[in-house]
Amino acid sequence: MSKFLENLGSIDRRYIFLIIAIVVFLPLIFPLGLPVEPTNLTIDSFNAIDKIPKDEKVLVSFDYGPSTKPEIHPMAIAVLRHLFTKGNRVIITCLWPDGLFMARQALQQVAVEEFDLTYGVDYVNLGYRPGNEAVIKGITRSFPANFAVDSRAIKIKNIPLMNGVQSLKNIGFIFSLSAGYPGSKEWVQYASDPLGIKTSTGVTSIQVNEILPFVKSGQLQGIIAGMPGAAEYEQLLVNNDIHPVIGKAGKSMDAQSIAHLVIVLFIVIGNISYFAKRKKEKKY
Amino acid sequence: MSFGSIFGAWVTVFLTLAILSYLYKDNPFYKVAEHIYVGVSAAYWGTIAFWNQVWPNLFGRLWPHVNDPSTLSKFNQFWYKIYNGLHWFSHNVFPENGIPGNQQQNLWYIIAFFFGLFMLARLIPKISWLGRWSLAYVVGMAAGLRIYGFMSSNVIAQIHGSILPLWIINEKGAILYGQMINNLVLIVGTVTGLFYFFFSVEHKGILGKISRVGIYFLMISFGASFGFAVMGRISLLIGRFNKLIEYSHKQYGYATLILLVVMVLTLLILNFKKTEEVTE
Repeated sequence: MSKFLENLGSIDRRYIFLIIAIVVFLPLIFPLGLPVEPTNLTIDSFNAIDKIPKDEKVLVSFDYGPSTKPEIHPMAIAVLRHLFTKGNRVIITCLWPDGLFMARQALQQVAVEEFDLTYGVDYVNLGYRPGNEAVIKGITRSFPANFAVDSRAIKIKNIPLMNGVQSLKNIGFIFSLSAGYPGSKEWVQYASDPLGIKTSTGVTSIQVNEILPFVKSGQLQGIIAGMPGAAEYEQLLVNNDIHPVIGKAGKSMDAQSIAHLVIVLFIVIGNISYFAKRKKEKKY
Repeated sequence: MSFGSIFGAWVTVFLTLAILSYLYKDNPFYKVAEHIYVGVSAAYWGTIAFWNQVWPNLFGRLWPHVNDPSTLSKFNQFWYKIYNGLHWFSHNVFPENGIPGNQQQNLWYIIAFFFGLFMLARLIPKISWLGRWSLAYVVGMAAGLRIYGFMSSNVIAQIHGSILPLWIINEKGAILYGQMINNLVLIVGTVTGLFYFFFSVEHKGILGKISRVGIYFLMISFGASFGFAVMGRISLLIGRFNKLIEYSHKQYGYATLILLVVMVLTLLILNFKKTEEVTE
């Protein structure tokens, strides 16, 4: 038994990769339907968006790319569904070049196919501008100076939605879909804090610990944390009769949960093996 | 389904499986995918930087599009003659009569243009010192831009956020023990964590114990970070698997299944050949 426990610690790591692959793959083919319970952080974000008055314009920033699409894109879809259901008009910006493609995909699915909204009236995609936080700092003073044209090369002064939007001061709420730098932190530092605009965010799992202090201090209104956060938001949309079915994130949570259980099991086995080995070494 | 979509699916599946094959061991499929990734990334970022940054923001402000250059001032007519030289060099990059994009002419950008050239001077050892001017500007500008945001949001607002009451009673007069404990944990964690990084006093006796508590809080934070990192990686794996499942269907020509079988068989044959060589 002792020998078996010791050997477990030095098992070929490829078996572990294979087991993880199987436990992630199987629930995607045969869903278990494990329940998703929204946490306070996601509920805070949902409530913050829910409380935005209907006449307020909302800025949604797509600051992510294909490499983090599985985590952030379901949030983008869910948040846009929520905003459009409420009747808020949405202005899209991108601080990441790839964000433009992500925004186009999300808008095509939600604004065009699901809600049949009018471009330039109900929503506008201003596209990508290089400059990271300098762009945010710039639009706190003037939109036209930084976005002369939108992503379709239409002059900003000819877009009805942008009438009366001189700077970020005319925006009611900011939502940052962030996968790193520039992202949520920069929106807090250069827009939310200096102008006092309410802001919420959806981030990759790896960023959560870094962004959480801004939520606790009230600088951010909740946070959608990674794929589980996106699944919780989808569940909240279902619970509040905003959308009938859960989306991609919710459907992937079985695989996520099972994989986590198996990883915890591996950590426990690894520790048992380590202590068994240490006990033997002490003995001799 | 268009040919482009099917071809794209096959390329996606091949590159995904090739990268994942590294988990087995280093192999030719992985090497191919790795080289494509490095090459495409460099080209992609180079293109993005030029067409989104240099072209509209620099050239677009130095030579914005004009309908009729002959109506310009004498200086600008000379200035656009320089542009005509660039236009002769490349019609696509420098279209006739200036760069389109509704930019206003701003000749101060000539300084940025030279700073950009100075950056490239670092490649020539004799004049590489010029690059320091550009770097000095970048460092100074970034520090100036960031210090305000960092001080107000990360330092002052965070200190403000950690000043919390330890005795909380709601409107009905009930004591909120849960919130009080939360606040106490946050304050103790912040103070002891900060103390761990205070190196002017030796961490001995009572100070050593405070710093020890700080280490425990840091370890919990690292544990949470690790947990979130694992969660993020599994999410990305789920994303790839979802694509592989989608592309295994008939409309994509069973791309996943066919490529998986071909790659596994190839790796087995290569492994078998290598074992034979070692035996000989």
